[in-house]
Amino acid sequence: MSEPNLSVRGATVYYGHGPARRRALSDVTLAFEPGSLTLVRGPSGSGKTTLLSVLGCLLTPDSGWVYVAGTNVIRLSEEERTAIRRRHIGFVFQAFRLFHSLTALENVELAATIAAGGRRTRNASKQLLARLGLERQFHQKPDALSGGEKQRVAIARALINRPEIILADEPTASLDSASGEQIAEILVDLAERDSKTVVVVSHDERWLRHAHRVVTLEDGEVKDETWPQAAHVRNLPVAFC
Amino acid sequence: MRLGWKNIVNDRVRFVIATVGIAFAAFLMVFQGSLLVGFLHAASRLIDATDGDIWISARGVVCFDFSATLPRRFIDIAKGIEGVESASRIATGYAEYRTPSGKHQVIALVGSDAGVGRQFPRATLEPNGSVLAPEAVVIDSSNVGVLDASSLPQEVEINRRRATVLRTVSGFGSFLGCPYVFTSYQDAARYLRLDPEDAMYILLKVRPGYSPEAVRQAVALRLPDVDVWTRADFARRSQLYWILQTGAGGGILIAAVLGFLVGLVVVSQTIYATTMENIEEFATLKALGANRWFIMRVVLTQALFCGLIGCGIGLAATGPFVSAIRNSIPWVFTPWWLVALTIPPGLLMCGLASVASIRTALRVEPARVFRV
Repeated sequence: MSEPNLSVRGATVYYGHGPARRRALSDVTLAFEPGSLTLVRGPSGSGKTTLLSVLGCLLTPDSGWVYVAGTNVIRLSEEERTAIRRRHIGFVFQAFRLFHSLTALENVELAATIAAGGRRTRNASKQLLARLGLERQFHQKPDALSGGEKQRVAIARALINRPEIILADEPTASLDSASGEQIAEILVDLAERDSKTVVVVSHDERWLRHAHRVVTLEDGEVKDETWPQAAHVRNLPVAFC
Repeated sequence: MRLGWKNIVNDRVRFVIATVGIAFAAFLMVFQGSLLVGFLHAASRLIDATDGDIWISARGVVCFDFSATLPRRFIDIAKGIEGVESASRIATGYAEYRTPSGKHQVIALVGSDAGVGRQFPRATLEPNGSVLAPEAVVIDSSNVGVLDASSLPQEVEINRRRATVLRTVSGFGSFLGCPYVFTSYQDAARYLRLDPEDAMYILLKVRPGYSPEAVRQAVALRLPDVDVWTRADFARRSQLYWILQTGAGGGILIAAVLGFLVGLVVVSQTIYATTMENIEEFATLKALGANRWFIMRVVLTQALFCGLIGCGIGLAATGPFVSAIRNSIPWVFTPWWLVALTIPPGLLMCGLASVASIRTALRVEPARVFRV
């Protein structure tokens, strides 16, 4: 088993002020290793998205620590946390979050430009999109893509800077079953073949058979943590990054 | 910054509104600037058209158009000062102009000696000739209608004395509301009933090798009861009078500033609306690791892209509009540098307009990317 490159220790997050103040995460301690896909599940309001925000350095917990690639990010400035995200984390969102005025290729290039500071990244973006089966969609805008295609573009965007950690929020919720299965296989493959640390937050029961580990949250606390049978080893033709 | 300009172009309606707003503001700035520059030119046009290095006027004269008399003997005194090569006179005053059809018009009559300058309009028998036509006047082509002089020569009366409108000149339209009418000094003195012992403006040419300023000081020392100016100083004095003391220039300046503010508001609203519409994209950019400067550049690119296109359209529209309006405002003038000078404030306007948007984009919470 590899050393964890992403962890939270005793993370507690409150939302709101005064009487409206409520606890969204309560003393959560979890570690995530490279090469594994962890499914975080639980009912609505259980703290799944809050946990993902904390892991992605998008939200600072009120107490506790967050370590990304060995760095405690709690004391870092916003600019430093932004740099950590840029270097180490790729995001996949339920709503895709593609830039509607840009083509698929430009969306991927943009993420590369943010990280690379303007160096030419067109070829790398094309290669990545092609490996995800999107060579015909290079120049299409998101509105012209199917849900599955959009999510694959989003995955390409998440991968272009070769992050060690992939955080996916309900990545299959907006997709039909075939597209959802395809996305799940891609993310599993990223964990197994490329040793990425993949954390998926989802209600989707289909993820149970893909995940190496399942964390169940309830009322902001870790209720259960299981290691189901190892995910199927697949012989996918695609190797990422 | 592809994202910036693609975002703005993607919403064509908003893009058109923004560029039209900026175009209007740029147009307004250049047009008001053209009025201001034209006004300044017109205020000193007659002074600039002379060759005289030094102007002598009655004490307290503030501009060419409101003159007063001074003793004629000052010409002889001035001629005797070292460094003065020659002296000539200009007389100006308001007169009544009447056509055979009975039409009355108040005019600003300007009479000059031959030595005043080759560019100065004079009633010579031939255009650019040197032989003066007696009792003849010339007018600016923009005043043909006002002076009822469509077919030339035209017999008219000036202060109830016979005169002939001989021909037209161009570039000497008046901004006073009453047209300039040019004639010889002798005829002007007669029409204006100037005392033979009086003069109005005395223009001195300085001998080569002499400093106009040094000669001016020498003249001022010898003639302490009058004002002595270099040509440039008198031109500036006239301009300042019309701009500052009459309030006309202030009005034009305020209109130019209003044009800037109108553009600022239009662009601010458009850029802010675009930013708010794409606020989720800014949150996504932050989540992807974009730093503050990157986000600022996206917003600024949107603003400056609108600014450049809008300024281009506005400036392009100014040329034909100014040409068309010259029939009613003959002195309006758009120098190239005014067009060039409008671009920096235009872009500054767009930069200022994006400040609120940048603040909003920078403050957006990146964690909102998880909301659906």
